[in-house]
Amino acid sequence: MSNSFIIRVLQLLGLAAGILSTAATVRAEEEIVIGGSIPITGVFSFAGVNIHAGIGDYVKLVNDQGGVMGRKVRYVYEDTGYKADASVAAFKKLTSQNPVHLYYGDSTAFSKIINPELNRTESILMTGASFATEINDPRKYPYQFMVGPDYQAMFALLLKYIAREKPNATVAFVYSDSEFGRDPIEENKKTVANLGLKLVAEVITPPGSVDVSTEVLKLRRADPDYTIFHGYVLAPIPEFISLARKMGMQSQFMGTFWSMDKNNIMKMGEDADGFLGIMPYRYSDDASADAPMLEKIRQIRPGYQSTTYLQGFVAAMLLLECAKRTLEADQELNAKNLKAAFNSIKNFDTGGIIGVPVTVKSNSIPVGRIYKADLKNGKMVPVSDWLTTE
Amino acid sequence: MRIGAAKATYAADEALFDSATQRCWLGVLFTALVCFPFLANAYWLYLAGLVAINVVSVTGLNILTGYTGLVSLGHAAFLGLGAYTVAILEARAGTNFLLNLVVGGGVATIGGLIVGMPSLRVKGLYLAISTIAALFILQFVFYNWVAVTGGSAGLSVPPARLFGLVLDDSFKFYWVIVPLTVLLLFGAANLFRTRIGRAFIAIRDRDISAEVLGIPLLRYKLMSFGLSSFYAGVAGGLWAYFFRSVTPESFPLLLSIFYLAAVIVGGMGTILGGILGAAFMTLVPELLKLIVGWLPIQGDTLVIISPLRTIAFGALIIGFLIFEPNGLAEIWCRVRRFFHLWPFKT
Repeated sequence: MSNSFIIRVLQLLGLAAGILSTAATVRAEEEIVIGGSIPITGVFSFAGVNIHAGIGDYVKLVNDQGGVMGRKVRYVYEDTGYKADASVAAFKKLTSQNPVHLYYGDSTAFSKIINPELNRTESILMTGASFATEINDPRKYPYQFMVGPDYQAMFALLLKYIAREKPNATVAFVYSDSEFGRDPIEENKKTVANLGLKLVAEVITPPGSVDVSTEVLKLRRADPDYTIFHGYVLAPIPEFISLARKMGMQSQFMGTFWSMDKNNIMKMGEDADGFLGIMPYRYSDDASADAPMLEKIRQIRPGYQSTTYLQGFVAAMLLLECAKRTLEADQELNAKNLKAAFNSIKNFDTGGIIGVPVTVKSNSIPVGRIYKADLKNGKMVPVSDWLTTE
Repeated sequence: MRIGAAKATYAADEALFDSATQRCWLGVLFTALVCFPFLANAYWLYLAGLVAINVVSVTGLNILTGYTGLVSLGHAAFLGLGAYTVAILEARAGTNFLLNLVVGGGVATIGGLIVGMPSLRVKGLYLAISTIAALFILQFVFYNWVAVTGGSAGLSVPPARLFGLVLDDSFKFYWVIVPLTVLLLFGAANLFRTRIGRAFIAIRDRDISAEVLGIPLLRYKLMSFGLSSFYAGVAGGLWAYFFRSVTPESFPLLLSIFYLAAVIVGGMGTILGGILGAAFMTLVPELLKLIVGWLPIQGDTLVIISPLRTIAFGALIIGFLIFEPNGLAEIWCRVRRFFHLWPFKT
């Protein structure tokens, strides 16, 4: 075999490699990549699986319509088991292997841990499952946002509703002894006073506790007109309500986003009839005429889709809206430009998933509506208009 | 024992690495550790950092549980003490990174000495329960001493700085975290060639006999708690710099169980066991993810089979405990023995 033949073969191989790498670069440049640290397993998997489906469905919907400004969207994810270190590993893995522009994170802990990395690289805009008030601060978290109001705002909207329905009402806060549970409490003690309400009990339970009989006794002694739960998904809310009703309490029970999924409330049994709470989105079985996107979702997935599915869906929608605005301005898809695009969102139509045009405030979408559980008809019924925080 | 490695002196007999072959392999390992950051991407560098932190922490628990026979389920609390100390010093005092780590270890040591007090009276499961109590007490402090710990929101940690260099990514941090881990491992390995280390082993094997032999139980048990907590404190400090955020929820009971599982799976009472256990517990879930990712399945099926990974991980741990109760270190030694004695049967 002559040397010239070997050189020619090597040249050809080099040329082929060059073409392949150029093709890969072009492909990478033309794509918009959404990464996700998604809890498909673990304690948060009930939400993670739905969030994953929501993001995936919206990405498919966009790609079927030709992508964003002609660019295809690719969604890559890793399971995290809802552990912060695994979420970071997933982030590092996905961003090492893909040119990620947009990201979905699964927890407040992850949002905090990854924030310095987002600030350092300035290449990714992130949203996620967290509504933690701390994240709603563009100075500390310049490249993140949340898909709804923060927990303090959710609580404040509930209190505003109470003050309007029953001035001078007595209120109790029941919350889990966790970062999630404690988040809105201190600030909203002031809101209670400002609205002319009276805080008569504050009950703290261990996260996920089941035996709450002593806590219910404390609540009965206070006998509040309204009881707001926060920091739970399901347990111990059903136990609380059931015991309280058995003791003859007439308090109106309320919850925030994570305890407001229709399926969970319907599982609580008849005691949960009339359970009130705040929800930033319409429920997926809401057939309002001004909600065409919900109709599309029902076509993709017939049957009720959880609120976490809608959270994932709206997250993907807002992330890609930021990408679209950035590309329309002929700018590079980096964190600064993407966040500027986010800040420019005013009167944005989510296709009716959020019942009013959306205008962002700080790092949040400060809109929500009070819904009431109607167990007889298996529905969540709106009892207020769309409320916005001041 | 390696064939043809006769020892002529006590010093040779006590050497950590007693043959040219071992020293040669050690050289290969160090070369690999030096080359690794230049070849690995951010993901593998991150995992390397995480493994190194876990190795330090597991080695600390191994000193207490594996070598001294004192079961602790409060290890996560000492990690927390170290992490909070470092976070506070870095954010508020801006003191030197290495000094912060030493102070973090020192504060955890004091915590360990206090928690270790009941160890003279109680042992086994009773001691485990008393250390859990310590964990809950410290978590309560982390949650409620808001002025110092930041309460449930915790503290943000500025990046570590060394000689003017900001260690704000996994690549830079690797050059601090890995040498520190190696240093602490050598420290632990050497400890068990000293009177103190041997006293720990004597206490583990039979504490009453150890006392009859003149080993003051309280002093040595407390020393073991203190040393173990120092390692945990330093690991916690590294953790704080690595993740740059410290909250009370970062150090749950589950983390203590994770470290105890790493000690057991790796092999109790061996330094190598701590390293292998920490690497196993950190890397196997990630490796299982890679394996699932290679399977020719996509979309919703992948979501459905994801929980199987958790089952496989659990099954692997149970499998190791059944088929090799002495842990991964024993498997490693068996493999080594095979090659040492080859072509003869082990």
